[in-house]
This record gives sequence, C-alpha cells and structure tokens, in this order.
Amino acid sequence: MLDIIMLALVIVCFALAAAYASLCERLLAPSAGKDASP
Amino acid sequence: MTVTGWLQIALFAAIVGALTRPLGGYLARVYAGERTPLRPLIAPVETALYRLAGIKPQTEQSWYGYAISFLVFHAAGIIALYGLLRLQSLLPLNPQAMTAVAPDLALNTAVSFVTNTSWQSYGGETTLSYLGQMAGITVQSFLSAASGMAVAIALIRGFARRRAATIGNFWVDLTRGTLYVLLPICIVAAFILIADGVPQTLAPSAEVTTLDGALQVIARGPVATQEAIKLLSGDGGGFFNANSAHPFENPTPLTNLAELVLIFALGAALTNCFGRMIGSERQGWILLCVMAILFGLGVSGLYSVESGANPALAAINVDQTPGLQQPGGNMEGKEVRFGIAGSALFADVSTASSDGAVNSMHDSFLPLSGGIFLANMMVDEVIVGAPGSGLYGMLLFCIVAVFLAGLMIGRTPEYVGKKIGSAEIKMTILALICIPAATLGLTAIACVVEPGLAGLGNAGPHGYSEILYAYTSAAATNGSAFAGLSSNAPFYNLTLALAMFVGRFVVIVPVLAVAGSLAAQPIVPQSAGSLPTDRALFVWFLLGVIVIVGGLTYLPALALGPIIDSLQMLGGTLY
Repeated sequence: MLDIIMLALVIVCFALAAAYASLCERLLAPSAGKDASP
Repeated sequence: MTVTGWLQIALFAAIVGALTRPLGGYLARVYAGERTPLRPLIAPVETALYRLAGIKPQTEQSWYGYAISFLVFHAAGIIALYGLLRLQSLLPLNPQAMTAVAPDLALNTAVSFVTNTSWQSYGGETTLSYLGQMAGITVQSFLSAASGMAVAIALIRGFARRRAATIGNFWVDLTRGTLYVLLPICIVAAFILIADGVPQTLAPSAEVTTLDGALQVIARGPVATQEAIKLLSGDGGGFFNANSAHPFENPTPLTNLAELVLIFALGAALTNCFGRMIGSERQGWILLCVMAILFGLGVSGLYSVESGANPALAAINVDQTPGLQQPGGNMEGKEVRFGIAGSALFADVSTASSDGAVNSMHDSFLPLSGGIFLANMMVDEVIVGAPGSGLYGMLLFCIVAVFLAGLMIGRTPEYVGKKIGSAEIKMTILALICIPAATLGLTAIACVVEPGLAGLGNAGPHGYSEILYAYTSAAATNGSAFAGLSSNAPFYNLTLALAMFVGRFVVIVPVLAVAGSLAAQPIVPQSAGSLPTDRALFVWFLLGVIVIVGGLTYLPALALGPIIDSLQMLGGTLY
C-alpha cells in the first residue's frame, strides 16, 4: 500500500512539473521580444 | 595556518586551472559531435544505443520538447531506483542479505540520486546490496550528471544560436555526456583509487578476529568505481556512511587531492566550454574568475577559522597550539591523515560544488564554518557547482546582473549578444526564487512541528542550523549532511525529497525556457551602449549581485543559526 502511495506521489509531482513546463511555455509566448528595460 | 596547508590549497587550484582549458575544449567538441581521440572507439556504441532506443540523433528538440524528455527520463529513473531498493532482498549481488529499504527511505534515496543530490538518510554499507550500489546509486550518479551537463549545453546553445527554434536533442546530449566524458574519466580515476588502496570487490564483508579476540566485520565492496563517479558527477553519495572520511573511500592525502580535482574538474571546464561555444573564451574565464574569488573567500575563511583555537576548549585551558604532536586548531571531527587544511579544503570544495561528499564531519566544525558551508550552498551552486548546474546557475546570475545594470543606465540589457527581455527575466527569477522558497519554507515548517523537532541532536541555534543545513543541502542538490539531525524518519524523508525535487526540476524547466527564448533571437552586435561583460568590472558587478541576492535572501536565516551560535559560544554557552 505504501509503495502505491509513494509511486503515486512521484507521478503526481512529475505531472505537476510537466504542467509547470507548459505554463512556462505560455508565459513565454506573449512576452517574447518585449523589452525588459525601464 | 601553515605554509604546507596553503600549498595544498594552491596546488589544488593550479591543477583545476590547468585542466580547465583542455577539458573545456574536449567538452565543446563532444557536444558539437566533432571528432575526438575517443570517437573511433565510442561512436559505434553511441550509434548502437540510438538504434536500440529509436533515437534520431539529427532531429533536434524545442526547449519544451527537451524539458519533457528530461522530466520523463528522470521520472522513469526514480521509479526504477525505487523498485530496485524495495526489491533488493530478492535480487542477486546481496552477500550481506540486506533487507528491502523502507518505502519512505527508498523514495528519498531515489529522488536524491536522480536529482544529483545524494542526500543519504542511510548508511550505505548497512542498508544497500551491491546491486543497489552499482545498478542503482552508481548508474544514477552517471545519468544525473550527464543530464545536468546536457541542460547547461542546451542553455549555451541558446546563447550561441541565432534565430533557432531548437536547442539540441536531450537524448543525444545525455548519451554523449555519459559515453565520451563521464565514463572514460571514471575508468582512469577508479584505477588511480584502486592503486592507492580503495577496494573494488564483489566479495562479502571480511570477518576478522581482533587482537582482543573479538570478531569484527569489515565492510567492503565495489567501492572504487562508485567513488570515481561520486566525485566527478558532483553527486557525492558515498559507499560508506562516513563517506570520504572512511579510509576505504579516501585512504591517503594523494587520493584526497585526486578526489578534490575530480569534484571541480568538469564544473570549471564547462565555463571554458561556454566561452568556446559562444565564440569568446574570455567570457568563460570571467565566469571562472567569479567562481574562483568566491571559492577563495570560502576556503580562506574556513582554513583560518578551523586553524584557530576552539574558544570553548581554550576556556578550560586545553593546549591547542600547533606542534610536532598535534596540528593545533579544531581537530574535532577531522581525520588526522588530512589535517586542518585538507579537511577545510575538502569541505569548501564539497559545499561550493554541490558535490556534498565529506572527509570530515561538518557538525564538528566551529559555528562560523557552518555559516560558510551554508553560504556556499545558498548561492545556488554557482561556485563551480555540479557538472552543468554550476554553469547554468551562474548564467542565471549573469542575466540578473545585466538586467540590473540595464536598470541603472536605462538601456536594454544584453548578454553575449542576446537581448534580455521580459521573458528571460521572468524565467530567471522563477528559477532563482524556488530554491530559497523551498529551503526557508520547509525549514520553518520543520522548526515548529513535532516530527521536525524530534530529529534534532542539539538544542538552540545549533539545532536550528542542523535543520536549515538539511533543507539548504537538499534544495541546492548538494547532499552533504551537517550530521546531528536524525533524518531517517518519514517526515524528513518526504520533505527533503520534495526540496530536492524542487531544487532540480522546478529550476531546470525555466532554465530550458530561457535557452529556448534566447535561441530564437538574433545575435546583436556589441555597441557603445552595451555593458562589456568580458572585463574586470563585470566580475565585481556579478560578484556583488550574487552576494547581495544571497545575502538579502538568507541573512536572517543565517543570523538565527550559525551567527548566534558562534556569538553564544564566545560567551561560553554551548548547545
């Protein structure tokens, strides 16, 4: 039972990491080429 | 402090400096797929691996594809290592009949080695089978280092390419790093270690009768091969619980020097590789210079603090003057064969580099030294760091530095011909902020909940330092332990695993996003308005940014731990 919980934790964490990568991609898209200077 | 001690430090620095350029050139050729002396030997293996795995080496990936490949590969690595540790009692190469590793410890260990951290809540010789050590720990040491280098190379390509939609192929970079870089160096290093007395055997532990007639079990195993990659990978997870303080892992001052060089070699060489790949070696030397200054400050501080007398012992009139019978200074927790200089140098290299191997017990250093260890790790592994992570950490700080310079002079920030826009800044800050968030947040939780306090070996600020050190080490993917903290409990195993996960994956995703965003840009020629990043001025500016960002983030946490601990020790209060 504990093994299943541990493996589920791993899968959830990596799913979140993949969603985070997807979020980064969306964050990049509208700001590409925009100037960061004041 | 002695002349011999300083000479040891200088010799180490000279060897690393001498290796930087040739090794950097070799790395640049390997990752560009150019001809190297080892290519005729290794290329057939490389090609066979691609065929077997169905990889098309010519097909490159966008940053997102690269990141997803990276995540999938490491998810599979954690599950495989977890399974191996849980099933080791049923698998071969288990002469000491080790039982299955507990689920929370197995998860912690799997995350630890896949993230290149090597935090060890276990003693290797009393917990893992030979198969677990070889096919689990050692394999992941290779792969985590190769993947870290792959990320750094992808980021370098982001700076070097113009109007490109891709940053390389993760599987190709991973394979090349493993086959052409890590394996050959480790084979040579393992033979050097074996020649100097490090065991390499599959025989079970030796049982001997001592002079008193008692039976003693002496653990041994395939140590040398694990030792070589443990150091080269910036991983640091030892075969034995005592790590490089154990005479079978690090028997002589010569192996100590070899181990130190292995820890720093690739991280330093990657700065030169960066310079070559962007067409200006000088830019690489500037980064190495910043790393060298931070390293010099750390090792000088450690050596001088530890060479001085321990005030608590001086108060009870213990003779601590150097002489023929004793090295003087604070020798608690240090091996006599390495002395103060060899221990301080190793401790600084280990905490600066993110390797986390130890040849002395960090909890036994004076509190101010503990503060230096923490500061080394708190600057996000930029002092050489592990292979790859040191360089991409430093490049993130370069982006912040040119951004701040841009704010000061009112111009668009540029770094090595790439304009730093809002996209790059967003991703950089995301990468830089998640490590302190994980470190400080989890430390705060552990300081107030019962399972966190239950692991403490000391009270007061020293106990707090133990908790802070554990989470700092985990989130910085360093893996060294302060000791004193009993971390093999579900609370610490799971929260430390979370810190390691954040410190690796939550950082690397935005790093790759920066790489992709930069690769898509044209290269802007230097103009009169560009901040020159290949001059001494940039060295000091970058140093200031690293110290100020680290200082602002962590100073209150350091004040509550090693700084108060040190002041109270001077006042006679010990914890």
